[in-house]
Amino acid sequence: MEYFALLLGSGLVIGATYGLVGMGFAIIYKATGVVNFAQGELLMLTAYIAFSLTQGLSLSFFPLLLVTLPIAMVLGVLLERIFIRPMLGEPAFSIVMVTVGLSVILRGLTIMIWGPDPHEFPIGLSSAVVHLGPVPFYPVQLYALGSLAVATGGAWAFFRFTRLGIAMRAVAANEAAALLMGIRVDRIHMLAWSFSAAIAALAGVLFAAMFKLGPTIWFEGLRSFPAVILGGLDSVLGAALGGLVVGVVENMAQGYLGQGLREIAGFVVIVLILMVRPYGLFGDRQIERV
Amino acid sequence: MRTGHFKDSYAALVALSDSRVVWAWTGVLGLALLALPLLVGAYSLTLAITILVAIVGAIGLNLLTGTTGLISLGQSGFLAIGAYTNGILLTDHDWPIWAALPMSGLVAAAISLLVGVPSLRLKGLYLAITTLAFSFIVNYLILFFESVTHGSNGIFLGDVTILGFDLSADRPLYYFVLAVTGLLALGALNLGRTRIGRAWLAIRDHDIAARAMGIDLVRYKLLAFFMSSFFIGIAGALMSLQIRFINIDIFGFLLSIEALAIIILGGLGSVAGAILGAVFLTLLPEAIRILLSLVVDPNASTYSKYIYEIRGITYGVVMVLFLRFKPDGLIGLWRDAKKFFANWPLAY
Amino acid sequence: MRGSLKSALLALGVLSAGATTAWAEPGVTDTEIRIGDVNIMTGPASFIGQAVSVGSKVAAAEINAAGGINGRKLVILTEDDGYVPARSFQALKKLIEVDDIFALNGTSGTANVLAMMPLITKANLPTVVTTAPNELVYNPVRPSVFTIGASYETAFFAQLKYIHEHNEPKNPVYGLIRQDDDFGVAVEAGYSRAIKELGLKDGIRLKYKKGQTDFGAELLQMRQAGVNVLANGAIIASAANVLSEARKLGLELQVADVWSEIMPPSAKLLAPAGYSFFVGDYIASMTDPAALSFLERTKQYMSETDRQAVNRYSFITYAGLKVMAKAMAACGKELTRACTVENLRKIHGFETDGLTAPISFDNAKQLGGTEVKVYQVNLTDVSFKTLTAYTQY
Repeated sequence: MEYFALLLGSGLVIGATYGLVGMGFAIIYKATGVVNFAQGELLMLTAYIAFSLTQGLSLSFFPLLLVTLPIAMVLGVLLERIFIRPMLGEPAFSIVMVTVGLSVILRGLTIMIWGPDPHEFPIGLSSAVVHLGPVPFYPVQLYALGSLAVATGGAWAFFRFTRLGIAMRAVAANEAAALLMGIRVDRIHMLAWSFSAAIAALAGVLFAAMFKLGPTIWFEGLRSFPAVILGGLDSVLGAALGGLVVGVVENMAQGYLGQGLREIAGFVVIVLILMVRPYGLFGDRQIERV
Repeated sequence: MRTGHFKDSYAALVALSDSRVVWAWTGVLGLALLALPLLVGAYSLTLAITILVAIVGAIGLNLLTGTTGLISLGQSGFLAIGAYTNGILLTDHDWPIWAALPMSGLVAAAISLLVGVPSLRLKGLYLAITTLAFSFIVNYLILFFESVTHGSNGIFLGDVTILGFDLSADRPLYYFVLAVTGLLALGALNLGRTRIGRAWLAIRDHDIAARAMGIDLVRYKLLAFFMSSFFIGIAGALMSLQIRFINIDIFGFLLSIEALAIIILGGLGSVAGAILGAVFLTLLPEAIRILLSLVVDPNASTYSKYIYEIRGITYGVVMVLFLRFKPDGLIGLWRDAKKFFANWPLAY
Repeated sequence: MRGSLKSALLALGVLSAGATTAWAEPGVTDTEIRIGDVNIMTGPASFIGQAVSVGSKVAAAEINAAGGINGRKLVILTEDDGYVPARSFQALKKLIEVDDIFALNGTSGTANVLAMMPLITKANLPTVVTTAPNELVYNPVRPSVFTIGASYETAFFAQLKYIHEHNEPKNPVYGLIRQDDDFGVAVEAGYSRAIKELGLKDGIRLKYKKGQTDFGAELLQMRQAGVNVLANGAIIASAANVLSEARKLGLELQVADVWSEIMPPSAKLLAPAGYSFFVGDYIASMTDPAALSFLERTKQYMSETDRQAVNRYSFITYAGLKVMAKAMAACGKELTRACTVENLRKIHGFETDGLTAPISFDNAKQLGGTEVKVYQVNLTDVSFKTLTAYTQY
């Protein structure tokens, strides 16, 4: 039982990062119908920017976020303006390929600026182990779980109560109709990118603080695919839950079955889930008419 | 300008081309390709072989993604299956290459049905990510079944000969790959003018409408997976013939992305587009390298560590610019050029 | 400039390769010898390639400053493979056909060398492998390929033996975590050898996918198995995450790590977990007198960025080119690949001033410099204490 609890604990921690990255994917997909293949690179770039900030200003976690998130949002807006906006009206698939090109560019740029050496990324939190029942955590891991909870709650409230959030849902439901109702669809797209970048920054800072900062962390984007697919590509809250589920499944698969199954457990789960529910667990089912 | 597209038989309607000029130029291209090894150095020949292999893979992916509209990110998985089948049959079971090569395609095709069946209900990016999941699973299984696949040690291909020609030499390999590529390209072109090809196009345009018109979706979607993976498996086998060493690291995720980039930059849904895309993307890093080497010398005494990253970034920039300004790909550029000359000087 | 224009033209296929060399042997002219290296110059592992590149260039500069090799200057040509075997193949093809190299001194990772092997064998290209001393590289022996360094197998055996003899905890149970690739297989071979020859208790063996970050479940498995001596076959960030997870679970461990962890950036990642880990390496550590005197001696040939890039891979590649130079010099004016290979085969007891143990290639495997030192990290300043002299295991 203790073994199970410990596996659950470490699964939730990694799952929280999947969830945060997955939410970033889902926000952009919901608003623009595009999977952003540069999401992992966005995470990497913002994490490195935050790293430079901690080096220069030695900020602790909350002040660091206060500075990093706005920078990330500006970055998101810029990327949308430069790379995505000109593609408006092109097939979704071409736009996806633009994000692929963008990922190549961001990856190269990050290594050019910061070099390939990995770094320890202290964000001013204690490294003393905290025990919740039998399960040990580093404080930063609890912050990650907390951040996921806050981000999920924030996203729920945003989509439920704010004008912008409702406008975003309208755009997701029917872009043309939303445009006719006077919603600035291009602004919504921009907003989606900036939110997505902010959440990528949050995920990046936490991930790097837990698992070191290095030029391979862009891969975290790919690893989070199962999370967002499981939840449904357009379900922001589903991605958060999907992340936790995938994280736990990975750790359980490794803990009970071994054989390095962790690496594909998430992917096996989504193949199985999609056979039953082709739009993920919480994704919108598209009704097609001829 | 050519006028008079009057056709009086169905055969003429579906002919590959009704223009003698096109056939003549195709002949010239064929001759040029045959003469290529006599004209260029060994490195250019290596590039040419790489391009041909990329063409086979791109045509295969294009059948699935371009023609049938099913997006796949699992290319690297099928390439790996083809390469490993080829390597295992050639080295461990002493098959001749003329049997191992088609078998590589068939094994990849058969396995693709396993992916195809769960994917039947999936659309768009859901399908793309499922195929991506599949390629990760293939990687895992190849390393897991060490006794069959040699696991992480990889496989060295020994001497491979066909009709007495040693395929480890550049020229015989070039001609061999050229022949295979030519056959497969022709096959893909002809597939496009049968009921199968038309059914695929109908599925791409609207699968529900296609079903309403009597196209069996299960059958034709699976057939698309099967044919596409057959091509890709063969491309994998050809890749293994060129490098002569097979290792799982060769078949990374980025290969799948590159394959998609090829058919999108080339122009979706057309064999010529796939060919143009393969040529373009294979030569792009070379072109970037040559152009940059005119500006800075990477081997200068003070070593410039950025030059290599800049090459990579330039690759990304070209891709983005291309998609931005020519979203229908190189084939679109080609069509524009044709139109321009056909209508010149009164284009509008 | 002229050189790059030439290579540009060559690449375009305008000229056939080799047409402009005065000497019959490729890569050798009256005034220069061209030595290639294929390296990881881009991506996450590029710190290896950059260090290798510095090592080659410093060695070449030093040799050239001393008058070159029988009057010919060494020219180093680097190609990037981004750690992808297919690209290594293509890069070497370019070096051979377009850049017209005489020999090869830098060879990327194991799978990458293997992908280049058919080309190396065919051209009888004198090759010194410095960064991938893996059994797969020297077994079977390729006539023109010479390898410097102990295998991962030997390095792990050495460390586990040291722990067994000097630092073994009570009721020792050994556990292994390793990558699922050729490198991981070599690590496991060393572990198996230690288990068998030293009669150790084998608790658990785990595999993980290259680049994995979360090791929560793996370390729990270790704990269940009662492991208190960990053979940590993970590298860089993964290695650090393994240790950090171990600390979270409060495991008391003796830890053996891969030699990549002796490099300052990785050592700094591992240190916070608080395990004073061991590393077995066939190369001098950065604080070894040999390394310090090397850095002092070669200062004049390095720029500031070069100096920052220096690590163990620079030392070994430097030594590699020096060995190669000795073999080439022994050929006199009539330099050929065949002669160089023959002289490499005669190399015996080549002194690298302590950067490695003396290198000898006059053995069946054409493998030298295999003696290993065991180091232990000093956690307070993240330096490495040398525990044993170079020893053959």
